[in-house]
Amino acid sequence: MGHIPSSQTGAGVMSVLRTDRLCRSFGNLVVTRDLSLEVQRGERHIIIGPNGAGKTSLANQIGGQLRPSSGRIFLEDVDITGQSPDRINRLGIARTFQKNNLFPNLSILENLRLAVQARRGHTLNCVRPVAHYSAVLDRARELAAIVHIEGEGSRLVRHLSYGEQRQLEIGMALASEPKLLLLDEPTSGMSPLETQRMIELIRDLPSDLAILMIEHDMKVVFSLADRVTVLYYGEALASGTCAEVQASARVREVYLGMAG
Amino acid sequence: MDLFLVQLLNGLVYAMLLFLMAAGLSLIFGLMNVVSLAHGSFFMLGAYIGLSIYQITNNFWLALVLAPIPTAALGMVVEILFLRPLYRRGHLDQVLMTFGFTFVFFDLVRSIWGSNIRNMAVPEALAGAVQIGAGIYPVYRLFLIAIGLALALILWLCIERTRIGAMVRAGVDDSAMASGLGANVPLLFTGVFGVGVALAALGGVAAGPIMGLYPGMDSEVMIPAFIVIVVGGMGSLRGAFVGSVLIGMADTFGKTYVPSMALFLIYLVMAVVLLTRPQGFFGIKHMGSSGNIPPRNAVATAPTTRSRIIGAMVVAAMAIAPLFVNNHQLTLVSEIFIFAILAMSLDILLGFTGLPSMGHAAFFGLGAYAVIVLASLFNVDPWIGVAIGVLLAAAGSAFVGYFCVSATGITFLMLTLAFSQLAYSVVVKWRDVTGGSDGIGIPEKPAFFIWSLESRMVMYYMTFGFFILCYLGLRRMIASPLGHVLVGIRENEGRMLAIGHNVQGYKLLAFIISGTIAGFAGGLYALFNGFISPDAIHWSASGDILIMVMLGGGGTLIGPAIGAAIFLLMKNLVSSYSDHWMLIIGCVFIGCVLFFPEGLWGTFRRLKPVRAS
Repeated sequence: MGHIPSSQTGAGVMSVLRTDRLCRSFGNLVVTRDLSLEVQRGERHIIIGPNGAGKTSLANQIGGQLRPSSGRIFLEDVDITGQSPDRINRLGIARTFQKNNLFPNLSILENLRLAVQARRGHTLNCVRPVAHYSAVLDRARELAAIVHIEGEGSRLVRHLSYGEQRQLEIGMALASEPKLLLLDEPTSGMSPLETQRMIELIRDLPSDLAILMIEHDMKVVFSLADRVTVLYYGEALASGTCAEVQASARVREVYLGMAG
Repeated sequence: MDLFLVQLLNGLVYAMLLFLMAAGLSLIFGLMNVVSLAHGSFFMLGAYIGLSIYQITNNFWLALVLAPIPTAALGMVVEILFLRPLYRRGHLDQVLMTFGFTFVFFDLVRSIWGSNIRNMAVPEALAGAVQIGAGIYPVYRLFLIAIGLALALILWLCIERTRIGAMVRAGVDDSAMASGLGANVPLLFTGVFGVGVALAALGGVAAGPIMGLYPGMDSEVMIPAFIVIVVGGMGSLRGAFVGSVLIGMADTFGKTYVPSMALFLIYLVMAVVLLTRPQGFFGIKHMGSSGNIPPRNAVATAPTTRSRIIGAMVVAAMAIAPLFVNNHQLTLVSEIFIFAILAMSLDILLGFTGLPSMGHAAFFGLGAYAVIVLASLFNVDPWIGVAIGVLLAAAGSAFVGYFCVSATGITFLMLTLAFSQLAYSVVVKWRDVTGGSDGIGIPEKPAFFIWSLESRMVMYYMTFGFFILCYLGLRRMIASPLGHVLVGIRENEGRMLAIGHNVQGYKLLAFIISGTIAGFAGGLYALFNGFISPDAIHWSASGDILIMVMLGGGGTLIGPAIGAAIFLLMKNLVSSYSDHWMLIIGCVFIGCVLFFPEGLWGTFRRLKPVRAS
């Protein structure tokens, strides 16, 4: 495990995440084509693109849910291509899902507790009740506060509002104490008010955390992005700051033009 | 005729019989995601109905053609009345439902046709043998090969070339989409179920003259057919055919050329295929697609003062019970305690982790056989035997679990079932050590410290004590971080992976814990019963444990214990005044799956007003 802390190799020089000529196809359908992108420490890197551009397929390859056909993925120079999702999480990438993917029949705190427990161990203990691990429980409560979920932690997740469930998604990912946070459309299906709250939530996350985020809502993109990459049929059409991407004629033509 | 050619033909005969079973199983699974455990029962039922038609009309051909019709009709009635209401509820319930029907059909066949072996004569036109090369070969067997190949071809043409076949293919691919495109999916389900049953029934009649008819012939063909569809790939007709030929040949040639290994050969083929190509040769649905069983019972809340008091009262009542009951009842309750331990151990897998094992009795048997075999052959102290049995069960469950835990849902069920049948065959065939199908016993029961277990009272208190110990231990585990991880896996395996839990590892651990405790229960049973026979590890014994868990309520600890009590009480009470206890318990179980999917304890707990803690 050749993991080197970034401070020793010069912060800012080495990227947290790097994909190298990533390709993935299903039969004749190419969903990721020669994609090379980087996310720096503390950077908010947002992937946009029309439906079917291969955004979620990209997230699934980085998160380990989908194996790339070719190309490599590096997390701080550790090759994580094709690793299992749990291993990728332990190596430092935590993700959220486009469709809420929680434990609906368990409580808010139990959801977070399971995620914290994966990070903080004790999981093989089969004698001591979970209630005695106060540090784990405290961390779960702290996470609930970080993602702005208020009220009784013993509520079942299936009884939460949709927006709260989206927030919990992020809390679960943060529990893994990741180097890279991978957010798959955190605001999808949200009302404008909920979206605004989500923007604030993401903005308040630690500034040195690298975030790779897939987003549809341009308002979110303009409020958060340090860097935007436009995907179109699996290919990176353009990559740069918001202004640079907006200025790109190709992007206007195929993406912003279509979005109206 | 040279031996090789004979074996080749015999292999083909077996392959064709397997195909008639596997084709239906595979199509039904592909379309509805249901593995019908009653498929073997339809095979048996078809054979017996064929026998009756043959006896009345004295015409084999009429039997062959007519027997599938009432059998298929019965199958469609079962599908419409009992499976259809459950499509929304997840597939495990349907599998359990079909398991309930194996009891009903078994009892029916036994009471209508008796339990002796019945022979069916080969029809006169096919009675002779033909000259092939230097030797002769029975015509009837050649006819079986021909009919199998012909049906395979017809089925293939129906699936590939007809409109209905296109709908079936679309349904296998995506049944929601198929219904969106205008296919009448419920009708399609019923139709395919009926065709599958008809094929099985036809296979039953055709196999009659060479296999003989007896209650229990159902599992004889069903387990290999399961292996066929696991190997060939579920949902694929081509897979069913190729798998049948492979397994048919492996079995036949194995028995001739490597008789000592023959038993393991088909399981070996299965293991190799699963390790290299988990979805089977032509699998359309990947193993993971069926998912873990849906949650039934919410996680128990911490015990309140009131529930502690009630619990203490129940324990106290059990402790003084021996003063008030007779010896026979005392023995029955001791047996209940042992099976309660066994059912609770299965529930760790089934109810808490979401993995439906249909092979749990194998570990129970391992524990029991260890005690008795070691004591009777090597004079080992039975308590040391219990310890060795527990270790063997741990090792055995680690081995089996290694192969099984990458699968989920129905595939997991079929794999565990196949492995347990492997254990069953080993026990039956290894006569020198296990006593074969006669079973094996120890002359006298050992002592528990200074008290002889020959005393029913001592047996009662010992099993009671171990039951309480196991219950408390498991309750502790459920409340621990490990227990919570297992529930997390049941609830959402994909998310457990994404938050960094090594799901495969924990599933294996759950499998080992569960198997080890089952081994301990088996050891106790050996001490209790002093005798063990292969019946205890037959796949239907595993099914019995599953019934206990589901009757009482999966996902709870008290539920399985209650279920074990109900099951054994019913078995004892009903069998004391009626021969039809299987019919009755089958019906009770079917009713339970239909109306109380959470089990009795689960339903009770849900109805009880919840107090905020």
